[in-house]
Amino acid sequence: MGDTGTEPRFLTTARDRQREMVEEYYAGLEGAGGPKKPVAYMLVGGNLTEIVRSFGYEVVFPEIVALNCAIKHVSLPNILHAESQGYGLDVCGYVKNDLGLQEMGGQTPFGRIPPPDLLVCSFSGCYVYVKWWEALAEKYGCPLFMLDVPYLRDATPQSEDIQYIVTQLHELIALLEKATGRAFDPAELRATLARSRRAEEGWVNYLASGRRRPSPIEAYFEAVFYMFPINVLRGTEVAADFYATVNAEVDERVRSGTYPVPEEKFRLVVEGVPPYPSYRTFWDFFRKWGAVSVAATYPKVGGLFDRGFLHDPARPFDSIAEYSLGAYVNQSWPLRRTLIEEYVRDFGADAVLIHGIKSCRSFTAGQGDLRDRLIHDLGIPTLYIESDHEDPRYFAPAQIKNRMDAFFESLDRRKGTTPLPMVGG
Amino acid sequence: MTLVAGVDIGSTTAKCALIEDGRIVGKSLAPVGVELVKDAERALEQALAEAGRDRGEVRVVTGTGYGRFKVTFGQFTVTEIGCHAKGAHFLFPGTRLVLDIGGQDTKAIKVDPNGEVVDFAMNDKCAAGTGRFLDVCAGALGYDVSQIGALSLGARHPVKVTNTCTVFAESEVTSYVARGKDPKDILAGLYGGIVSRSLSLMQRVGVEPEVTFTGGVSKNEGMVRTLERRLALRVNVSPLSQYVGAVGAALYGLERPTGVPA
Repeated sequence: MGDTGTEPRFLTTARDRQREMVEEYYAGLEGAGGPKKPVAYMLVGGNLTEIVRSFGYEVVFPEIVALNCAIKHVSLPNILHAESQGYGLDVCGYVKNDLGLQEMGGQTPFGRIPPPDLLVCSFSGCYVYVKWWEALAEKYGCPLFMLDVPYLRDATPQSEDIQYIVTQLHELIALLEKATGRAFDPAELRATLARSRRAEEGWVNYLASGRRRPSPIEAYFEAVFYMFPINVLRGTEVAADFYATVNAEVDERVRSGTYPVPEEKFRLVVEGVPPYPSYRTFWDFFRKWGAVSVAATYPKVGGLFDRGFLHDPARPFDSIAEYSLGAYVNQSWPLRRTLIEEYVRDFGADAVLIHGIKSCRSFTAGQGDLRDRLIHDLGIPTLYIESDHEDPRYFAPAQIKNRMDAFFESLDRRKGTTPLPMVGG
Repeated sequence: MTLVAGVDIGSTTAKCALIEDGRIVGKSLAPVGVELVKDAERALEQALAEAGRDRGEVRVVTGTGYGRFKVTFGQFTVTEIGCHAKGAHFLFPGTRLVLDIGGQDTKAIKVDPNGEVVDFAMNDKCAAGTGRFLDVCAGALGYDVSQIGALSLGARHPVKVTNTCTVFAESEVTSYVARGKDPKDILAGLYGGIVSRSLSLMQRVGVEPEVTFTGGVSKNEGMVRTLERRLALRVNVSPLSQYVGAVGAALYGLERPTGVPA
């Protein structure tokens, strides 16, 4: 099931650099594992990469390995292998990709994924994820640290929740000291957090440029590429430097009038995980209509830096706890809904597009209510479509395209702007 | 006087409507095969023959339906969602909600007073509750789908039939037949199941009178009565209900400015 879409040409320097960083990261995993270069597995949402890296660990994010497999069209064999082991059709595609891949030796087109020496389950809001990490712990017999992060119920985290997480962070540090024989270095953690903050500030500046008209960025499809450094390499110099490169390119786009689409007709807020197996095809469906996402929720799954939170080296533990609590995936639905409504208002969006995924009830449950609220209560045109983020069997291009064409047609009619698409469009 | 054509290439049939001066002056309907371009051409030619007009008189041709990109001789394409909204509004100007049940699609479309799409919902990757579903179940009862329309009207004890899977429903129908159930009761159960699925889509966009029922399944009297009973509303059904998409497509062609790109 090939992805026949194309990647637009407005992406140049920063996208090339991002590709290099991905290649360098996976190359760096070659030979990792064991006492000299231990490997920790972690989840993206509210991750503790700064603490774990400060003990010399290489960090692997199996969710990101899975999406890399999906976008390179190699996820299905892994999923089928996991299903042959007894994992059901309704089990998360990320989970099945990883467990299938692990069973088959961890080899991907972008490098071999080393087995873990430590498992840090940094997002416990999904019960399937908890079971995933338990399955890996059983397979590899390595320590499993379960960080219990309470759902964020109010816009401001409660002090009890912060203290609850800080207590667990100290337990993690004790485990890391024991596993590595190294003493915790607070100065190193503060220095790492300072680098994280620099990357976060650059990322926030990039995301804010979606407010411009026309938008010089694609806040969903393009931003997804640029999530890699903020999630995987946060705390490193290369990640901090990367966003300076990105923002210089955005400035250049504004100067030269180079935009994601030649003529911006529709400004969208996008909610939901992308259909990675058909990423470029899906993107084509937007571009054909001159639609640009000016803000999106998914690039914030690792952290909502654009809403005021930045890691603070002066308050390392409280700051990390606040970060874990505030990750988009950890927010209650009223908070998620409010965020989307604010994005529509602040970024001058015409409509909202929601992409639900069959794999993840945790992320997707509530999106139907969100759609109803946006359409019926707020009068914001909203389209809900569904496929999957990992399993190519769930992407039905003709049906998805038909719904999107109908949606954009109706938006077009409301704006009364342009002629109908030509035959063959 | 501007003669325009709409060609609707659906999953099972090709329809064409010709409109001039606000009137439908020709139409055609035929099954589709695997050569959709030829089917589209034939649909237009047959409609022109019915109207006694020449191809050269047609100012604009607009394609719609899943096969709209195969209307290669046309100038524009519009999704069937927009076309059903516009076509239903043309036939029944008070329409606020369109239910279209075609061969493999069920669509609920909310429209504004001008016939513009406000919201829509469609069945998801499954033909349960569509025309194909009725075809299969009619076959299991030993009927052609064209024969079953009014049969259910005398039902006294409608059975329960699953409404989530065409294949499972066919098995259930076979099972009921084997148990000697009255076909009227089985059909009434089938219609109830299809209407339940359709109501779910309709409620998602909001039920508001007038409701206009389009597509091939709207020709089935039992379905219309079941839908009206469940909605507690009278439902508009035009004698041209299978052509509504083609009519809407033709009307879109009328709205284009002169000098449309060729």
